[in-house]
Amino acid sequence: MPRPQYQSKLLSLTASALLLFTLASCSDHQNNVTAGNLSGTLHWGNSTEPQSLDPHIATGVPEHHIISALMEGLIYKDGETLEPRPGVAKSWDISEDGRVYTFYLRENARWSNGDPHNAHDYVWSWWRALQPALGNLYAYMYFPIENAKAYYEGEISDFDQVGVKAIDDFTLQVRLANPTPYFLQLLDHYSLFPVHRATVEKFGTADQRGTRWTYEGNMVGNGAFQLKEWKINRRITVERNPYYWGADNVGLNQVVFYPTENVTTEERMFRAGQLHYSGVPSDKIATYREANNPALRIQPYLGTYFYRFNVDTPQLQDKRVRRALAMTINRDQLVTQILKGGQFPAYAITPPGTMGYYPESDLKFDPQAARQLMAEAGYPNGEGFPTTEILYNTSEGHRKIAVAIQQMWKKYLNIDVTLLNQEWKVYLDTVSNHHYEMARAGWIGDYVDPNNFLDMFLCNGGNNRTNWCNPEYDRLILEQAPTAKSHAERLTIFAQAEKILLEDMPVIPIYVYTSNNLVHPSVKNFGRNILNQANYREMHLQPESAQEASQ
Amino acid sequence: MKASSQSTEQHSSLWLDAWLKLRKNRLALFGFAVLIILCVVSLLTPWIAPYGYEQQDLMLGATPPSLEHWLGTDIFGRDMLTRIMYGGRVSLMVGFIATAVALVIGILWGAIAGFMGGRVDALMMRIVDILYALPFMIFIVLLMVVFGRNILLLFVAIGAVEWLTMARIVRGQVMALRKQEFIEAAYSMGLSQWAIIRRHIIPNTLGPVIVYTTLTIPSVMLLEAFLSFLGLGIQPPQSSWGLLINYGVETMEEYPWLLIFPSVTLSLTLFALNFLGDGLRDALDPRAAKD
Repeated sequence: MPRPQYQSKLLSLTASALLLFTLASCSDHQNNVTAGNLSGTLHWGNSTEPQSLDPHIATGVPEHHIISALMEGLIYKDGETLEPRPGVAKSWDISEDGRVYTFYLRENARWSNGDPHNAHDYVWSWWRALQPALGNLYAYMYFPIENAKAYYEGEISDFDQVGVKAIDDFTLQVRLANPTPYFLQLLDHYSLFPVHRATVEKFGTADQRGTRWTYEGNMVGNGAFQLKEWKINRRITVERNPYYWGADNVGLNQVVFYPTENVTTEERMFRAGQLHYSGVPSDKIATYREANNPALRIQPYLGTYFYRFNVDTPQLQDKRVRRALAMTINRDQLVTQILKGGQFPAYAITPPGTMGYYPESDLKFDPQAARQLMAEAGYPNGEGFPTTEILYNTSEGHRKIAVAIQQMWKKYLNIDVTLLNQEWKVYLDTVSNHHYEMARAGWIGDYVDPNNFLDMFLCNGGNNRTNWCNPEYDRLILEQAPTAKSHAERLTIFAQAEKILLEDMPVIPIYVYTSNNLVHPSVKNFGRNILNQANYREMHLQPESAQEASQ
Repeated sequence: MKASSQSTEQHSSLWLDAWLKLRKNRLALFGFAVLIILCVVSLLTPWIAPYGYEQQDLMLGATPPSLEHWLGTDIFGRDMLTRIMYGGRVSLMVGFIATAVALVIGILWGAIAGFMGGRVDALMMRIVDILYALPFMIFIVLLMVVFGRNILLLFVAIGAVEWLTMARIVRGQVMALRKQEFIEAAYSMGLSQWAIIRRHIIPNTLGPVIVYTTLTIPSVMLLEAFLSFLGLGIQPPQSSWGLLINYGVETMEEYPWLLIFPSVTLSLTLFALNFLGDGLRDALDPRAAKD
């Protein structure tokens, strides 16, 4: 999922005013964290206002955090090991050939308004998610299911032929086109979450975008929490859902999500005791490290930061130009001097080591060869290369990287690049509509498998957004890999596909993420995993240690 | 002083008087000198700056002031002195051009409305009220979206929203002035309305206008920083004082010099403007001249 990461847009004065405000409230001993620890309220720095809370429309980490509190899939992933745990399905069977999954749903599962929740909800929700008019960016996540791709692309119009069937109220059968090792993990992705039919239809048709069904007072979910209040650009509060099947074991009463776009401000809020969880600006990591501050968590993170090319841009149509641009980014310097959070330079789109997969890449930092390529493409010494624009979502972190890359390209290729920043929601729209030349992007694994990074660039993948399309690539990902005989063979096919991708270079891999966050010591059962997925249903707060920590 | 010949000499003596008075005001002179120096440095920056404003040295990173970099370097290893010098070009230009635009529109609008009175006044001031009611950020953003991200347009757009208060101040002054005898005297001498506005009304409103101008310049500079941060003003690697301060705030605990030097420069400019404005108001006040 795309990640906005460090966001910011406030004027210095506003920032310092906020600082004064947080300092002032700091002297008040009842700060958010102390009060929250007593009342069981978790205060979560969520970096930006979500684009949508509709699981079949949303894309992005901030959206994911909120949706994962409000909704649940058939299974969920363990906070530490990422093993599948029974969610709405209390158990499941997998057929010998790995193609038929039968889920046995909990009879005590309920929607947050008390309505019964059963297998038919899944059939309807998945039908909805595959309606082309809905514009589900993640529709391709369904493609492992038999006939889902054909249905989505309009080749068949009868949804009964798609491999999902409610055998009875509490038994759901899913037939796959091919054995898919990561299928259970997919079920924990919001694009496969069920939605409450009556609520969706009350506020519009099933495939209508942007209806009011996800608004405060309207939304009905099936997760551990329910939507209590949504104050645009201020906070989103979710509270315990009494109808949740596991409500007795939920440790938190409320979670409050704050859309603080400026990570510096967010970190100050954390220090002032206003947040349990926040990001940390790269320039402050060293300070936290030296102080051995237990709040700082730097963990491996299955994600890649990259730049997308809109390959229809005239000057970017030539893959030699795209490769030259990729070859003149000094990733080592970016990682050590700008990011400072233990990130790795990325030379391929899939993070190395994903399920034992190590991408082969011939990409390296080589200005000499890059200049040669530019000359061959008709831009010797950058002459005649039009000024090109990098789009990024407003954030000091992205700005820093863009400023450094802008200068590297100027220095090594003598080309001019301008920067344009847009707010997260606008940025997502601009990129989805292909109204850009180059755009910053980040992709965080939704499940642990190379497929999650590579199927992003399918010709009609909703998250491709580069206009790049290679039938051979599609064939490898959609036909070859799923039918591979062994894991090793599957990885070989992925390596072939990734080679094609890197050869055509519709994206520039820049670095492999680490998740750098501040977590207040009073948060227990936080869980660590390489997807940095927050498992709100298992967290709880312990006031005593909070007081120790604040002294 | 003997007023032997009439209008021309009288006219020059107002300015001469002002200059004589201003010369005695040390603070004002200091402000004037600082502004002149800043303007000269800004004009000459491309030739005298020690480094290029976009020249990075990532391996160097942020360093405190040293012999090579008098004001230190930012996280990209760019020389702060150079950045501040180039930033001054943008900030001073925005400050002066946008304020000039605001001044011209505001004074004319206010003077005409105040002088004509009646329906014309009501209509003109209602227009001002309507523009006031528009959230002015949205207004600027709209202007920028329609006209594109051009730096000159940025100046004009800011000027176009900053003239409203100026118009009100001038109108209030003019309303009070036009009832006075010397205006009636001017009428009886057969001067045209336009000549009266130009020769009598506007010079008499200069005091408050100058004070307000010195307040407008800094607010315009800050507005530019805000717009740039929204992606509507100037873009990296270019910079302005407002933006430098904005970035400095983010790392003020780790790299304080990135905040201190641009802030000091901006404050110095604002002080200079205020001192000069103060001095000019005293010097130009025609009523004071009659004493």
